[in-house]
Formats: sequence, C-alpha cells, structure tokens
Amino acid sequence: MTARILIIEDEALVAMELRFVLEDLGHKVVGVASTSKSAQNLARENEVDLALVDIHLSDGPTGISLGRELGQEMGVTVLFMTANPGMVRDGVAGAIGVLSKPTDEQAVQTAVDYALRRRTGQPVQYAPPGLQLFA
Amino acid sequence: MTDPIAEPARWDESERLAALRDYGILDTAREAAFDDVVALIARICETPIAVVNLIDSGRQWFKAEVGLGVRETPLATSFCAHALLNEDGLVVPDATKDARFDGNPLVHEAPGLRFYAGRLLKTPSGLPLGTLCVLDTQPRPEGLTELQETALKTLAGQVMSQMELRRALRQRDEGRDALERALEASDDVAARLRASEAQFRVLADAMPQMVWSTRPDGFHDYYNARWYEFTGVPAGSTDGEGWNDMFHPDDQQRAWARWSRSLETGEPYEIEYRLKHHSGVYRWTLGRAVAIRNEDGEITRWFGTCTDIDELKRLEQGRELVSQELSHRIKNIFAVVTALVALSARQYPEARAFASSLRTRIAALARAHEFVRPHTEASQPTVGATTLHTFLADLFRAYSDDTGAPRVHISGDDAVFDDQAATSVALLFHELATNAAKYGALAATAGRVELITRRDEDRFVLTWTEIGGPKIEGPPERQGFGSSLASLSVEGQLGGRLQREWAADGLRIVVDLPATALSRRRAAERDRL
Repeated sequence: MTARILIIEDEALVAMELRFVLEDLGHKVVGVASTSKSAQNLARENEVDLALVDIHLSDGPTGISLGRELGQEMGVTVLFMTANPGMVRDGVAGAIGVLSKPTDEQAVQTAVDYALRRRTGQPVQYAPPGLQLFA
Repeated sequence: MTDPIAEPARWDESERLAALRDYGILDTAREAAFDDVVALIARICETPIAVVNLIDSGRQWFKAEVGLGVRETPLATSFCAHALLNEDGLVVPDATKDARFDGNPLVHEAPGLRFYAGRLLKTPSGLPLGTLCVLDTQPRPEGLTELQETALKTLAGQVMSQMELRRALRQRDEGRDALERALEASDDVAARLRASEAQFRVLADAMPQMVWSTRPDGFHDYYNARWYEFTGVPAGSTDGEGWNDMFHPDDQQRAWARWSRSLETGEPYEIEYRLKHHSGVYRWTLGRAVAIRNEDGEITRWFGTCTDIDELKRLEQGRELVSQELSHRIKNIFAVVTALVALSARQYPEARAFASSLRTRIAALARAHEFVRPHTEASQPTVGATTLHTFLADLFRAYSDDTGAPRVHISGDDAVFDDQAATSVALLFHELATNAAKYGALAATAGRVELITRRDEDRFVLTWTEIGGPKIEGPPERQGFGSSLASLSVEGQLGGRLQREWAADGLRIVVDLPATALSRRRAAERDRL
C-alpha cells in the first residue's frame, strides 16, 4: 500500500532519515515542512494521506494545533512523532496517536501501516508497540 | 594578758554581732539624742569622759563620746569588753590596782585612765551590744554614788530605747522601701509588658511579611499592618474566622483542614495557598504558624506569618520550564544522533547490522532518560510513577507477542531509579533482551522471560530467567560486546555482581546490587539528614 505522506519536522537530519525509511517502504513523501505555515501550504497544494507531525517546530510548539487542523479540517490522517509524548497524552482530536522519538525503522513501519489501515477502514487487531493511541 | 575577752561567753558571738549590725547604727554620724546622753552622764558622774560604746568585732565604736576625741579604738585596750562579761556592768575604782588592766597602754601611758564605770546595753533578748560608760584619769576608790549609779543605769536604758526606736524606724523604712521597690518592680513589669507589646507591634508592622496571632482556640485577634496593606480589607474585618474568605476558593478547604489539624495537635502549621491581593488577583503565599506554650506545655497563643512567594513561584516555574526545555533538547539530540547513524549506514550497506544495534542501544538510553529527567505532570511519559517496573515494561514492549501481550514478565518489589543509574539500567536490560531475542528465549515463538526483582535488606536482586527457548549446550565460547556491556554496567557502574548460569533449559542471570545503587543521590541525601 503506497501512501502520500507529509513530514512535519524541524530537525533536517531526522526528517531526511524518515524520508528514506518511508521511501524504502514504498511510500511517496510529498514534502518536508519545518513550520506550521509551510505544512499548511504543502497540505493545501498536495493530496496528503498521512502526516507525521512533530510537536516542537521552528515556529514553536505549534504541532498540536496543526495536527488538529490537518486531521479535523483537511482530512489527513495524523500521527504525532515527538520526543515529548507527554505533551499530547490527553489526546488530540482528529489524530490517531503518538510515536516516541527516537524510534527505529521497524516502529515507523508498523505505526504507519497501522495508521493507513485505520484510514482505509481495514481491520486492525492491536496497536504496534511504541505507538500510543489516542482514545 | 593578751586577750581580754578570752573567758567563755554566755552568748554566741556571731549571733551578738548579727544583732548589733541589725540596729544599723555602726559608723553612722553623731546624733543629738546620744550626744545629749553622754554630756548629761558625764556631768552627773563628774567625769571628763563619757561614751556610748558598741563592741564590734576587733574594735569598739563610739556612737557618742565626750572627752575622748575619737570614734573608735582597738578592742585590745577596751574596758567595756570586760563589762560585757558582767550582767549589770562593771566598776573599776583604780585600774592600776586591777590585774585585768595590767599592761593596758591606756592605763599605763597617755591618757592614764584610772576610774571606769560602765552599764551594759542589752537587746530585749539579752544580747550585750556595748556599754554606756564614764572614765576618769583620777582613781575613785568610793566608786559611784547611788544617784550616779541610778543615772547611769537609767540613761543606759534610754540609749537602748533610742537604739530600739531607730531599729524599728529603719525596719519600717526598709519595709516601705521594699514595698515601694516591689511596687516599682510591678510597675516595671507592666511597663515592660507594654513596651514589649509596643515593640512587637512596631516589629510586626515593620516586617515584610504579614503577621497574625490567634487565641489557643484559633480565633484570630491580631493582624499586622502588612496584612491590611496586602488584602486591603478594613481593620478587624478578618478577626475570628473571616480570614478563610481571603483564600482562593480552591484552597480554602485544604487550608482549613490543615489549620484545624494544627489546632488539634499543636503541630506547626505550614501551607502554600493563593491569597487575595487588594488588586483583586490571587498571589501564592506561604502560610506558617507555631504555637506558644506556657510552662505547663499548654498552648497560650498561635503566631503566624504569611509570606508572598508569588515571585518565587514564578521563578520556580520558569526554572522548571528551562529544565524541561533543556531535557527536551537532550531528547531531541538522541533523535538526531540515531538519524545520523541511520543516514551514515545507508552509504555502507555492510554496516547495516552494526548501525541497527547502535541505534537500538541509543534508543534504550533515550527511553531511560525519558524516565528520569525532570517532569511536570504534563510531560510524564506514563501515568503514575516512573519506577523501574514501568520503565522495563516500556523497554520490553518491543518484544511483545503477536497479540501485543508482553513476553517479559516483571514481578516482585518495584524501585525508583535516578539519572545516574539510568544509563546502566537501560544498557543492561537492553542487552539482555536483544541477546534473548537473537539466541535465547525471545528467539522462539513460545519463549518468555521471568524477571523477578527483590529487595533483600541492603541488597536489590534482579533475577532474569529465560524459559522455552532453544536448548543450551553450555556457556558460549566467546563473550560478545553486548555481554561485556551488561557486565560493565552492573560491575563497573552500579557496584554490583552479575552472574550467568547456562542451564540447559535456559539462561539464568542474577544481578545483585547494593540497594542504594539505583538512586545514589537520594541515598546520599538520606545519609546527610
């Protein structure tokens, strides 16, 4: 299953590694944004299935409201990826869950698969390890 | 004869001297009442010398005298000392013919005394104090006439009456003085109390803190100026229990419970709450109070302070924020480093396995760091305490089975661990788990691990038992880097022992740590206390 994925991450190295991992898995990375504004622009200009959203971006801790907007208003499936998963412990409306950084290829793969299965309405049995789901 | 009064006395000399001093007459100025007596008796007895003589220790002292010109002489030459030994008195017609005055310079040299007649001055209880006496340089073989003797006796009685009178006056004065002193002293105490209270109020009003005081039952009856300045309420309006309304509604119940407990138990009161400032905003305040007790240990008063700690709270929150931010950045660095490792390995496919094991080790460190870094309620990685068991459960989640159920079962005594122990704990269990996943119980579908942690007095023992894995032939020929890392963590860093038992049905590892190893800083702090 190939998906169009938007990476929202302000650390260039982390974003680049994530892009390689996703491309290795056969996905299409539509872009990398390091601010909320550029992320909104990219989401408007492209068809996006899934957004991987960091909470702390170049313009501050704007990831939470960005994720909510992408999920609730723009029909994008949202997975948070952050070093501070506690910040979204209470959940964010419209988002699936949070993956704690640093992570590895295996965890990214299972989490992305899980999110895409949910998006396409396919049955899921349990959440992959490392992914905390929002209620 | 060297000691004229060596014969045994019929009284106690110290008692006599005490009685004499009690009259308070020694070394006082001349007084007409006594001068008149000696002048009169000298005229009546027709002697050039007359004396009111008091026998002190080592000297005789004259309250009044005529014809002598001195106020005291040594006791050694005294005629009167002899008189003290006679009930009524002593008459010496011619001292040159009296053995008692052999060698007395007053007789054999100037002034050449010959005649002496003395009458005792006795206290009502019979103690002799001295004499009223007359002396002449001419011998008088016939002694005194009957009139002279009567006059001497009568006037000696008068002298004693004078002395009694002045003693009574003196005692009355002393009594009055004592009373006055007592009255002054009590005035003083009252004045001091007033001064002390005035000082307290000045001090209390000058203090930067709010100060208050209550009766033993907790009824507030005093607030200093700062309280009224801070709260802006009218003086007296928070007396009694009105103070509680000044607290933030969310803090009122807590503050009331704490205060009630202190009132019941006498324990010092200490609490942080939000107090309403006159500007309408609530400011964080530290409230403290202690009980003042009397000698019987009963509480007589409570004195309390309220300190505005709003600034401090803000600083504290600011510092927490900085520490959060720093911690977040560190966590981020872990993410950047693992990304860098992965990106680097992409250039060298043969390094893939190496890069992967390095990444998972760094990830384990990052997980452990997440558990020990400073957290606020919001940043906690899990709900509840960050303990060893919650950390390990999190670390082993990657080895869960296909249904998401854990394959490493953790049981026994839980513990907390600090940032110093985090690296070692993370590396140790990461290595044990990856090793089990490669070669041991976690490599088999049905395999599992039992991890039991047990606090045993001053030791903390962790037992890792692999079950259901491939059969083990014996210890491996070569120790891998992962095993070295595990040993190093336990023996080098945590100061414990790591023991491997290669049983046929599975590897068993016992890690025996000092109980303090997991949180050394906390243990050190406890020792300091």
